[in-house]
Amino acid sequence: MLFTAESTLAGTSAPGFAFSFLNNLLIVVFIVSVFLFQRLHTEALKGTDFIGYLWNLFSKAGVAAYLSVALYLVYRVYTNYTDEQSTLLLHLVYQVNFGLLILFLAKAFYIWRQLLLYHKNKFLQIAWDWFELLLGATLLLTIFNFDYTSYVFLPLIALMGFYILFLCTNMKWVAYLTFNNKSRSLVLLGAILLSCYIFARFFLNTADSPELVTDYTDVGFLLLAMSFVSMYSLAAFLVSLFSLPTSSVFEQKSEDLLNFQRLSLSIQQGQSEAQVYDMLVESTIKASDASAAWFEIIRNGEPQVTHLLNIQEPQIESIRHLLQEYNIHHMDYINNNLSRNPGFRNLALPWKSMAILPIKSSKHLSGVLYLIKDVEGGFDQETVNVLRTFTSQTTLTIENLRLVNESLQNERYKEELKIATQVQESLIPKTFPTDSWFEISTHSVAAKEVGGDFYDFLQLSESRIAIIIGDVSGKGISAAFHMAQMKGIFHGLMQQDMAPSEFMKQANNALSRCLERTSFITSALYIIDYRMKGFMFARAGHCHTLYYNSMMDNVFYFQTDGLGLGIIRDKKNYASHIREMYYDYNPGDVMVIYTDGIVEARSPKNEEYGEDRLLYMLEQTYHLEADDIKYAIINDLNDFTGPGNLYDDQTLLVIKFRPTQPNI
Amino acid sequence: MPMKITQEIKDNTVIMTLDGELDASSSVILDEELSDPEIMRYNKILVDCQELNYISSAGLGVFISHLQRFEDAQIKLIFYNMQDKVRNVFEILGLDLLMTIVSDYEEARSIANE
Repeated sequence: MLFTAESTLAGTSAPGFAFSFLNNLLIVVFIVSVFLFQRLHTEALKGTDFIGYLWNLFSKAGVAAYLSVALYLVYRVYTNYTDEQSTLLLHLVYQVNFGLLILFLAKAFYIWRQLLLYHKNKFLQIAWDWFELLLGATLLLTIFNFDYTSYVFLPLIALMGFYILFLCTNMKWVAYLTFNNKSRSLVLLGAILLSCYIFARFFLNTADSPELVTDYTDVGFLLLAMSFVSMYSLAAFLVSLFSLPTSSVFEQKSEDLLNFQRLSLSIQQGQSEAQVYDMLVESTIKASDASAAWFEIIRNGEPQVTHLLNIQEPQIESIRHLLQEYNIHHMDYINNNLSRNPGFRNLALPWKSMAILPIKSSKHLSGVLYLIKDVEGGFDQETVNVLRTFTSQTTLTIENLRLVNESLQNERYKEELKIATQVQESLIPKTFPTDSWFEISTHSVAAKEVGGDFYDFLQLSESRIAIIIGDVSGKGISAAFHMAQMKGIFHGLMQQDMAPSEFMKQANNALSRCLERTSFITSALYIIDYRMKGFMFARAGHCHTLYYNSMMDNVFYFQTDGLGLGIIRDKKNYASHIREMYYDYNPGDVMVIYTDGIVEARSPKNEEYGEDRLLYMLEQTYHLEADDIKYAIINDLNDFTGPGNLYDDQTLLVIKFRPTQPNI
Repeated sequence: MPMKITQEIKDNTVIMTLDGELDASSSVILDEELSDPEIMRYNKILVDCQELNYISSAGLGVFISHLQRFEDAQIKLIFYNMQDKVRNVFEILGLDLLMTIVSDYEEARSIANE
């Protein structure tokens, strides 16, 4: 398109008034087509790569100016050499230069537009749209061959000049240039300005040249476009130049911001505490421009240095010692003139100011950051504010990291409890044998946290049944596991039909090998023989058995000795700690077997339910059926504790011996 | 109510005071205190249970787990001023026969010095 227009222009350079209108029209068509082409093809800004943009402008458009100079020089050399004036050649050079100028202007115009509209608002967008429209309108002057220098249009042109000045104040992009980028942009802008100058000079010089038929300085549009491009370039140049000294400050600020962001994002990225501290140390050293620094993590009250910069361990030790003496270690402390302080002066440190920043939440001190500078007053208020923002952000991050970990732990723990509850439920028998000589009623609830109650039975022979109750210390999956073990031991050993005390000895022996040191099991084993109308039992640290003797009409606890399982792990020694008892029962007798979850249940006032109250309850209810005795006790217990006050598993077995015995 | 454990050294004897409820979480602290190798330098540990309101099986477990170690090292572990309900827990489990539980400080001292 460019070349067709150009060739047409070159062709129409022949004199003739009739062609004037057509000539102007063709110029306008050419200008408009080049500008429209650039308007559509200017690439959008990519991020904040302004330098690439400026380079683009210079390499593609600015070079046009140098080409045009080269072209003109070649022409001058040629005319000097051949010593003849070639009007045609001059026209050709002039027209090519015009083409280059339009190309330059169009390119520059739309690149500046992108930069000018960077971070635009609605007002700016409208202002720019009007500018483009007005500028386009000036082309009409050319078409109709009005002289824009006439008094009618001069004020309008001047107004446009002011408009351009206003637009040139929009250069937010310069603020985003770093120091290095600014220096580079200065060079590029200088080169672009030079291009503007070359074009302006060339066309002004050749203006009103007698040899030339057309004079593009008559095109008002070009003047305005040129002045916009050059003024914006100049303004950008000056702004970059004068903001150069302050740019490092802005660079630091934006880096601080980025670092804050990195810190706060570190949780989502699943970073560890150590990585957060790495970031903190790195960022604060940069932010404060510290000459030396160290960071220590506080573990169990002892400092542990994790990061070091330009400082030796002995120096740290001496500083720490001094701070301890002043009682300001682990405290937020800024000293901007160390040499004024006699203590620091004695240490003869090569530094002059120091900042101590603890990483401390309301209750937990996780670390302390020490920054040192070799100038006095190195930590001004502004720097300290930034540093404090860093440390508080770090505190928050560390705290959040811990919370996240805790909730993960909790989640795992809940899952574990679910399994434990399932195991526990599957281990407890759902049905008890029903027989005519005794009735049995069971109650069992598992607390949320603590698990470990269990009971089971085994029919040893036609007339004998073994009943076991137990409580495993600890909770969760390990308690459920030990419960399962205990159940296995019960079923395994009782196949051999042994006495309760012998069972306890062997169970203790077996458990000693697999229980962890802090765990133990309490248990009681009863073997009821209804042919003999008696029962044998042994208690291994388990709650005392509550009993109602119908003959004596008396309620009491069996006070027998017996050590819990897994406490003494040496076989022979344990044997002396277990007692066995035989008791003849009468019809109507009631036996209440339970775990400590019953007697240690708490009321809202933190009182214990206790053995006495349980005994009293049996005194009131022994005449009832086993089921009703159980319900009476459980109801009383629930009244006592109130709702939602279950801290331990509760297991209760009520056995009532029936008066009528079957014939065997 | 959180557990408070204080320790003082008097006449080559560790006097440990338990204040509060010894449950699953506070027993961890007790375990740390009893595991302190420093404590092995003394051959008598007196535990003041006056303010010990409750002991859970986890708390008992901690004492049980250290029992053998103290016995092997011939360290005397003596409890005194124990509340009745706490003593009852020790007794039900049969620990009163394994551990020395006495009524007051003087008695604890005299047994320790035997």
